[in-house]
Amino acid sequence: MAQKILIIDDEQPIRELLAQYLTACGYAVASAGTEIETLARVDEGSPDLVISDLQLEDTDGLEMIARLKERLPDVPVILLTGVLFDPEVARDVLHKHVACYLEKTSPLSRILETIRQLLERRQP
Amino acid sequence: MNDLTIRRILAVFLVVAAVLIGVAIAAIRNIERSASSSDWVNHTHAVISETEAFFGAVQAGDAALRTYLVTGDPRDQAAIRDAAAQVDEHLEVAKALVRQDPETSQQFVLLETLARQRAEYNRELMAARSANDSAALRTLLASDAGGGGIREIQRKTEQLKAAAMARLSVQDTANYLQAQRTRWTVWGGVALNVLLLAGAIWLIRDDLNARKALAASLREANLQLETRVQERTAELTAANARLSNENLERQWANQALEHQVRYNQLILDSINDLVLVLTKTQKISRVNAAVIHLTGFPSTDLINQPLARIVHVIPPAGAPVLHDPLTLALDEGRDLRDLPAILEDKAGGRTRVRLTLFPLRDGIKVVGGIVTLQPQPA
Repeated sequence: MAQKILIIDDEQPIRELLAQYLTACGYAVASAGTEIETLARVDEGSPDLVISDLQLEDTDGLEMIARLKERLPDVPVILLTGVLFDPEVARDVLHKHVACYLEKTSPLSRILETIRQLLERRQP
Repeated sequence: MNDLTIRRILAVFLVVAAVLIGVAIAAIRNIERSASSSDWVNHTHAVISETEAFFGAVQAGDAALRTYLVTGDPRDQAAIRDAAAQVDEHLEVAKALVRQDPETSQQFVLLETLARQRAEYNRELMAARSANDSAALRTLLASDAGGGGIREIQRKTEQLKAAAMARLSVQDTANYLQAQRTRWTVWGGVALNVLLLAGAIWLIRDDLNARKALAASLREANLQLETRVQERTAELTAANARLSNENLERQWANQALEHQVRYNQLILDSINDLVLVLTKTQKISRVNAAVIHLTGFPSTDLINQPLARIVHVIPPAGAPVLHDPLTLALDEGRDLRDLPAILEDKAGGRTRVRLTLFPLRDGIKVVGGIVTLQPQPA
């Protein structure tokens, strides 16, 4: 059975492109543009991994990730954002809830590699 | 089965049929010849039988005559006449039998002559005996002393029989040879047909083997083709997936670039001062929202235009203007801070501003500059 990935981003083209790519790579993909949609997708079935933007229409991404981790403590979250952080600062600030930080300028192949590593690490 | 094999097999069966017809014709002709030969043999035996019966009747007549000559009994005359009638009858039958054989007919004519002479001689003896003429009897008997007449008839009869037997022997030999030829013809035909049928079987077997080999070859070719098609399909599928991924990567990169440009623009637009990005030749490549707001120009009217179209640096009073200070600063890669300048808007209005220039560096190379304008109170 394919592993399920939840994509959270307020920009629909980003969600669609990433979903198309990950589906072609063999994953089951669900997507959401807001926190409400995110919670609805989680209610439909717990994902194996979450990819989330930092900015959402209805809430701050980091706050939403914190709430999400309370429900899904074992699910790794990748923060995929166009807001440029200093990598050192990003690690310090984000490490609490986020397994990995990637910029949206990262190629899809790198995103895929990161997903695979995190999912392999999660498997018993 | 291919056309050539069918034609060959048909040709073989035609030859087999021809051989069978030939053998049948030879057998029928042999049967007819055997029947004809049998008729001839029966006929020849009938001639021999009649010849022997003829000579037997002659001898019987002669014996009856001698008895009569001794006894003079009239009943013996009847036996003599009866024998003479039998002689005539057998002669007539024999002549009828050999009517179509002139040579044998001639022999029987000669035999008939001898038989008539003998009959005449017998009648003369009977007449002499009836008349009890002893002298005539002695004369007649003396003329046939030793039985020369009978022996001549016997000799001719034997010759006829011997000739008939010789013809029978020749015919028998011919019949045997004919039977042998027919036998060889039949067996030869059978053997030839067996060989031809064996040839047909070999042709069919050869054709079947060729068809099996062809079928196996076709199966092998189909398998190879199927394998090649599968390989090619896998290659195409992989290439398609690769192209699809590359396409997605390009779209993703474009999306990220657009996002980044928009984000940068947001940063620029969030600054209250007027910000203009210049090329090395001082042409405007980018402006923030404050510039558009204050000048009234849309960004499309400003992009790629010289900075001097809307900004004029005020030279220090009394100082000669030898060089444009912005050009010098960009060439030397240094900042300019708080230069007095005039900003001209779309309606021709003029606003006093303080100009600051920061060279834009790519590594050690100056590729342009950032100009900020701070409006001054009137």
